[in-house]
Amino acid sequence: MPSPLTLLTEARVARTGVAVVASCCVAFAVAGAIAAADTLAAGAKDYKAFAAEKIGGALAGGKSLQAAIKAGDAKAAQAAWIASRQGWEAAEPITGEFFPKLDEAIDAWPDAKQGYHAIEAALFSGKLEEVKAPADKLVADLAAFNARLAAPKYQFEPQGLLNGATKLAYEVGENKSKGGESPYSGTSLNDIQQNVAGIEAVYKLAFASTLQARDPKLAGRITDKIEDVEKLVSVPEMKNVDQPALKKAGEELAVLLQSAAGKLKLKKPALGE
Amino acid sequence: MTRAVPYAIACCAAATLALAMAGAKSAPITSRESVLPPGTELNTEQLDQPTERFASELAGGKRSYLVNFGDLLFSSPDILGGVARQAGMSCGTCHQQGHNNPKLFIPGLSSRPGTIDTTNAVFEPKSDNGVFDPVTPPSLRGAKHLAPYGHDGRFASLRDFVRNVIVNEFAGREPSAEILDALVAYVEDISFLPNAKLGPDGILTSAASAAAKRGEALFNKPFRHDAAMTCASCHQPGNAFVDHQVHDVGTGGRFKTPSLINADFNAPYFHDGRYDSYAQVIGHFDHLFDLGLAADEKSDLVAYLDAVGDASEPTSRNSVQAELDEIGHLGAVLDTAIPAHNKAVIALTVDVVGNEWRELGEYFPGRNDTSVGGGQSERLAARAAARGMALSLREIAMAAASDDYDTAARAYADYKAQGLAAASALKLAEAWSLFNPQIRQAHFAALQRLADSAR
Repeated sequence: MPSPLTLLTEARVARTGVAVVASCCVAFAVAGAIAAADTLAAGAKDYKAFAAEKIGGALAGGKSLQAAIKAGDAKAAQAAWIASRQGWEAAEPITGEFFPKLDEAIDAWPDAKQGYHAIEAALFSGKLEEVKAPADKLVADLAAFNARLAAPKYQFEPQGLLNGATKLAYEVGENKSKGGESPYSGTSLNDIQQNVAGIEAVYKLAFASTLQARDPKLAGRITDKIEDVEKLVSVPEMKNVDQPALKKAGEELAVLLQSAAGKLKLKKPALGE
Repeated sequence: MTRAVPYAIACCAAATLALAMAGAKSAPITSRESVLPPGTELNTEQLDQPTERFASELAGGKRSYLVNFGDLLFSSPDILGGVARQAGMSCGTCHQQGHNNPKLFIPGLSSRPGTIDTTNAVFEPKSDNGVFDPVTPPSLRGAKHLAPYGHDGRFASLRDFVRNVIVNEFAGREPSAEILDALVAYVEDISFLPNAKLGPDGILTSAASAAAKRGEALFNKPFRHDAAMTCASCHQPGNAFVDHQVHDVGTGGRFKTPSLINADFNAPYFHDGRYDSYAQVIGHFDHLFDLGLAADEKSDLVAYLDAVGDASEPTSRNSVQAELDEIGHLGAVLDTAIPAHNKAVIALTVDVVGNEWRELGEYFPGRNDTSVGGGQSERLAARAAARGMALSLREIAMAAASDDYDTAARAYADYKAQGLAAASALKLAEAWSLFNPQIRQAHFAALQRLADSAR
């Protein structure tokens, strides 16, 4: 079944006549898509489909993790953790902004009691027996997240979306020279690529068409800057990332998103949590 | 000695050692995705930092633009290249606050904490000499008076030495004259720390102990087998305790005489950091020159070195205010660079000072750091304030990059105005930050538990 994002993208391509160049990387599936949401509220609704898909993926990965642990299959458990993590990282613009308590439990760091990182440290050092309880808790938390998100009445406020994307653009530029966010699984580059895809989804689905109508020059600068950031993280290994350049580009993207706030009739995003 | 330990093997073997040494208040690199190998300890997260005093300020003046710009460059990974730049290293990584870094350890490049092989294939292949020959990055206190430069004294000029470090040891681009001027101005302004036990002529004052005074006499006493020589022949008290010469003292080559001023804080000693204590150093020279020192004479000499090498305030507790002061000095470079439309300097300043704001923000644990309780709203406000300052700076660089210096000047004025509110938010949250030793302990203990869980 096509993903909500794919459907949205195809519909927009049909409407705008702009071709989307297929990407070999799922993380950048939104590249080239042009949002056509007429209003910010409609854009936020479009984004909700993307977020639901990603959190659904995180939950499915979590359930696979549980099954692999039960079967005593460490390799499958590690693969499931990585799959779950991908979905989570792509949804990161909204996790802390809209679901702070669940984010705190699911993505706790550096506390080694619960969440992805507690599981990661034990799982990738071969201690399958130690991760059963935290994996069960992770799945319960992701299920709660998914249920709240999937509720028909649930809507994202555009202000929160802009806040979350801006904050994440800044965080993408954080110093990863020590190995990044997932040091024990060695998947920090994946995390950061998914973060960038998540920022792009927020911008293109929720804001791009509105901003294009109100300030096409700024809209173009943001699109270009997202592409710059994508290029900087499209490298084979974390150690190949040009850290200073990524920090600069991430900050520039955050500044541009802040400057879009006025045009979108929103408040300038702060970078708190 | 040839490089006996291959880099990759050394990395694995040293990881355990470095982790064990690090304790709960530090955060050695653990990831195989890191630029530098697991087990690396750059020792960048200290609560008590080496005190840095400037000759200009001690003389009642102020740090010049050049000194501030040099200080900024000293903290910039961008003037280096290759792996060092990628790893976020700068001159200040090895010379923290213009001093040394006794905990610095990079598996495969360090023989022991506080040493680094600067002629290796990792940082700059063109300088790899195929020899595992780590040296101690020396303290730069009083460097103006300590020519020649390099342990082997191969550079008469500080400027040439600095250029060599950037280009040939750490793969940086050829630095401009402006950059070298500033770095030299900064290093030459780093002063020895005041020491009440030592007079300006290098003679002990009345504040020194009786044992130290006895040691002083011994220090100036002719050697029993060479009446023309004393310790003071090379370590000349009236000349910053140096003779500006290199000597073979049985350590595998000719190395320059190090200063003894503030040297209590310069361990490990000798060019390769082979000794941890003055007692070991005195034992070395007693053996080398067959001095025939009695035990009480050795302890008097240790007391003398302790007195000469002392300082009134060797370390300073880091705090929000200390960080803000540093940011203020470095950021002041923009006072000159923006009106001068100096795009390159503006960009460098924004990168370095922006990093300072980023790092300051990280002192305030976020919501997901559940190892820390209390003051959450204050911590989050502080994080937001620091991050906001980094982005305000970035606006300045973006305007300057477009040659829009009017906007850059306005953005700089906004940045300065915003700084007052940011300072207030940061100070309000300081009690729940990593500046608080208890909070710091909880945070790093949680990091350690995570690392333990991954073993």
